[in-house]
Amino acid sequence: MLAWILPGLGHIAMGQRRRGLMMMFGILFLFAFGILIGGLDVVDMKRDRLWFLAQACNGPLAFLIDFLNQSLLKTADSATQARLTSLGNINATGTLYIALGGLMNFILILDALGGPDRGKEHPGRRSTDA
Amino acid sequence: MTLLGWIPFLEPMNWLQSLWYVLLVPLAFGISASYKAMRVVDMRNYWRQVGMMTGQIVVVIAALAVGLILFVTLVLPRA
Repeated sequence: MLAWILPGLGHIAMGQRRRGLMMMFGILFLFAFGILIGGLDVVDMKRDRLWFLAQACNGPLAFLIDFLNQSLLKTADSATQARLTSLGNINATGTLYIALGGLMNFILILDALGGPDRGKEHPGRRSTDA
Repeated sequence: MTLLGWIPFLEPMNWLQSLWYVLLVPLAFGISASYKAMRVVDMRNYWRQVGMMTGQIVVVIAALAVGLILFVTLVLPRA
């Protein structure tokens, strides 16, 4: 649950601070870059429902951006919408960034579900984690 | 829209439309950074592993693109 709320938080809670922080960096990098490229328009629960299924794995951040998109962008006047809406390849790339970040976070959530004992598969993994 | 008037995180980078493929590099970096954070055994090798994986993704996708271009421009017209 912690890993979904904020990427990497599950691993930090298990004592793998450095690993968790790097996970957080990776996922938030993809998320921030996706918004930077495509603006708020790239997270849209209503128009891009299938993409949003993957994006939702990023956690509450994806729902916040969707809320901002629906409440600020979609209700704005047509001139503002034209200025803030991403087009073509840029929209597709921004959407892809956030969806891939969500899918990567889903894998990290599964890794966190394995618990601290998951490290036994790689005995050296714990020594440099903290 | 000029670059000077661009508001980051609110306005999209629509001016990058013709150079969208450059965005593959940060995408590969982000995927590598999150994947290697989970997979790498010794965290001291983390950044080296991230750099290697980023390079591998970019090189393989670029090679696939070149292969497809050659296939479409050279092989398909003769078929």
